[in-house]
Amino acid sequence: MTIYGVPRPELPLISIHLILPFGAEADPPGKAGLADLTAEMLTLGTRHRTAAQIAAEVDSLGATLSARAGWHATSLHVQGLKEDLDRLLGMLREIVSEPSFSEEEFAQLRQRRVAMLVQQKDESSIVVRERFEQILFRETPYDHPIYGALHSLPRLSRDEAQEFYMQRFLPQGSFWVFVGDLDPDECFHRVEAQCPRATAGTIPSPPFHPRIISGIKTVLVDRPDLTQSQICLGHLGIPPVHPDVFAFEVMNYILGGGGFSSRLMRRIRVERGYTYGVRSSLDLRKNLGSFSIATFTPTETTSRCVQEIFSVVKSFLAEGANPEERSEAIHFLTGSYPLKFETLSQVAQRIIQTEVLGLGIEYLEEYPGKISAVEQEEMIRCAQKNVHPDDVVLAVVGRAEAFRRDFERWGPVEVLE
Amino acid sequence: MHSLGIRSVKVFPEIHENRLGNGLLVLVGENHSLPVVSYQVHFAAGSRYERPGITGITHLFEHMMFKGTPKVGPEEFARIIQAHGGTLNAFTTTDNTSYYENLPADKIELAVDLEADRLANLRLSAEVLEPEREVVRSERKLRSVNSPFGLVIEQLFALAYEQHPYRWPVVGWDHDLKNLTLEDCREYYRTHYAPNNAVVVVVGDVLEEEVFRLVEKYYGAIPAQSSPHLTITPEKPQRGEKRAVYKKVSQVAAFFAAFHIPGMGHPDLIPLHILCTVLSSGRSSIFFEKFEKPGKAVEVQADMGSPPFFFMDPGLLQIYAIASPSFSPEKLEKEIWDELEILRKEPISPETLAKAKKQVRSAFLQSLQTHFFNGLLVGLYQIRAGDYRLLNQILPGYESVTAQDVLLAARKYLRSENRTVVSLQPVPQAEHDELGAIE
Repeated sequence: MTIYGVPRPELPLISIHLILPFGAEADPPGKAGLADLTAEMLTLGTRHRTAAQIAAEVDSLGATLSARAGWHATSLHVQGLKEDLDRLLGMLREIVSEPSFSEEEFAQLRQRRVAMLVQQKDESSIVVRERFEQILFRETPYDHPIYGALHSLPRLSRDEAQEFYMQRFLPQGSFWVFVGDLDPDECFHRVEAQCPRATAGTIPSPPFHPRIISGIKTVLVDRPDLTQSQICLGHLGIPPVHPDVFAFEVMNYILGGGGFSSRLMRRIRVERGYTYGVRSSLDLRKNLGSFSIATFTPTETTSRCVQEIFSVVKSFLAEGANPEERSEAIHFLTGSYPLKFETLSQVAQRIIQTEVLGLGIEYLEEYPGKISAVEQEEMIRCAQKNVHPDDVVLAVVGRAEAFRRDFERWGPVEVLE
Repeated sequence: MHSLGIRSVKVFPEIHENRLGNGLLVLVGENHSLPVVSYQVHFAAGSRYERPGITGITHLFEHMMFKGTPKVGPEEFARIIQAHGGTLNAFTTTDNTSYYENLPADKIELAVDLEADRLANLRLSAEVLEPEREVVRSERKLRSVNSPFGLVIEQLFALAYEQHPYRWPVVGWDHDLKNLTLEDCREYYRTHYAPNNAVVVVVGDVLEEEVFRLVEKYYGAIPAQSSPHLTITPEKPQRGEKRAVYKKVSQVAAFFAAFHIPGMGHPDLIPLHILCTVLSSGRSSIFFEKFEKPGKAVEVQADMGSPPFFFMDPGLLQIYAIASPSFSPEKLEKEIWDELEILRKEPISPETLAKAKKQVRSAFLQSLQTHFFNGLLVGLYQIRAGDYRLLNQILPGYESVTAQDVLLAARKYLRSENRTVVSLQPVPQAEHDELGAIE
């Protein structure tokens, strides 16, 4: 059984995670959202307590309780005061081992989520990301949002959730993370005494091969009421365990991940004034995530803004970065590293991410050294090998008629309502 | 220039205080748990200090503070801090403008140097103002115009306040943003960006004497300015419900309501905050159990901010409700007011009070995890409430609240006469277009 314990005695707080080794990638075809919905059902009643009783106890402890799926892992989490450690741990044990799957609670939860998805259609930053990923990951386990979709959620049943629970919520491959004002040895003994025994081993993610995008494939989501367009463009990234991953991080800082230090921000915001923010990011997933650039700009500057993004990326690939930029990127990534371990949640999330992505816990210690070792040539080679501005998915939410023709110059354009 | 006496006052975290001869107040909290520090400069500058015609200038000017000095080029500030392992940003509210750098503790001198430099030597030109004006207009579209509820909330404040500057948004009206001049910016800089109008807060792995020495070294020669002469018109009591309808394309109907409440430092804020907690904090709260859980609403929240983000002047307790597509928004609103009436008639139970107190205490302790937030508490209590030592009273204040206090606060403030409501009414695209352009 793996238990990570990190003592942080500065404040009388504790955070406990039980991580199960599957997530939304395990949603069966046509059942988008099942893993996440099933996870939340655990918090909505057990054989001993109703949902209302659980909520009342959590709130009376001033605590938070959640159970949600990620792509590769499902996280059951409690956070609260040190004085309530036993009750919080007991609650986590109870919800994972004895959920009741009440029919009424299931129907209400599904209804709440459907209503949330309807409202979310007004959030253009969410819509653009969903469309981008839907096209990029078509016919793979990542082709749907973790929380599900309007075409799948209403059809999910309580029995399907319960069956998913029976098949998936097993001790194999699960692990615990304790952070806070606590003694790790004591936590270990308590888990051993109270909780289902986790066993070693992980459930491998099923391998898959997304289609490679060739050319610029544009999708415009028409929202005539908007005065500003949301833009997301990019392609497949690299896996988390990959020889280029540290060079990619340094390179991305210079291109678009480094805020005002980045090439994209300087050109698009500072020099042109097209946007309040632009950012490039590498999303690491177990198989293959995405590399994308996201921004927003008034309707009238939409195509010019995209043109500038392409121009910045292409000149970066042609000219490379200078040694000063490399040095600044490395100083930022290593110097600001301790700031990523300030809160209990940050510490827990770092541990969970390294474990789930298969990076190995030593990654956390080795990170600054590996970043510092990235060479100039290596970084430039990494960019040229892994960044392809001529082969991207380009998603835009906004007044399609105002810029559709401009986008047609770059390739096929699909307009969606 | 000389320093006045240095003294230590026990607060949570323990803060050491110094005031330079030019009036700059310096507050330092040592915390050696991680080798990092949060360096913050808070100014008594916010949208409450603006006047019609120049709304949004405080926020626009916050952007201009990154435009360089003779020593540091435009936007170089951020690049330099990041190149030394730091993160940074700034934010503007109704009551303060704050700048901060979170960075390795051994780089603190860099932050002191750069912040003092831009306080004394900012270079303003039309060349940098014009693109930044467009950046801010893009930010306004992001936060207000194209956000599902942004314009509705703007209308709520504009209706609830008739005289006080809280009636316009921090980001400003678009028309004003288009017309602000370089001279407006220069005047704003002269008026508000003075050492005697600021407080420096440092929390982290530092020694107080070293911080005081560095701040004296870099800020000591910056002259004080005469205090800005400002008259802020107070809001008169509301004597009847005010209502408006906002029509736009939307997937959902919703309403946003507000009740006038006192400003920061007033004792009634504590029972009112307990009321908000009882109404909408957690899954055993009234709003979740009665409206969200059974699917009547996507979301219902009661919000008045929390320490240190209470309004400086009399503020608003806001209640917003997003109706589920299957439930009548009118019925939802009526049922919500019925729940408030119950709180005005009977005291909450001892269990409900104990639960709310523990929720507030736990949330407060959670917020203390970062040096950054500890610094914000100190700086904003100083700027907004006039004394950072009031921090000591936060937890005891909540502990001493009684059910009777909560009942009296509900009766005094949650009255229909004190209420403003703006309803979001979804309309088809054609009707949306007929109503004119939004900006």
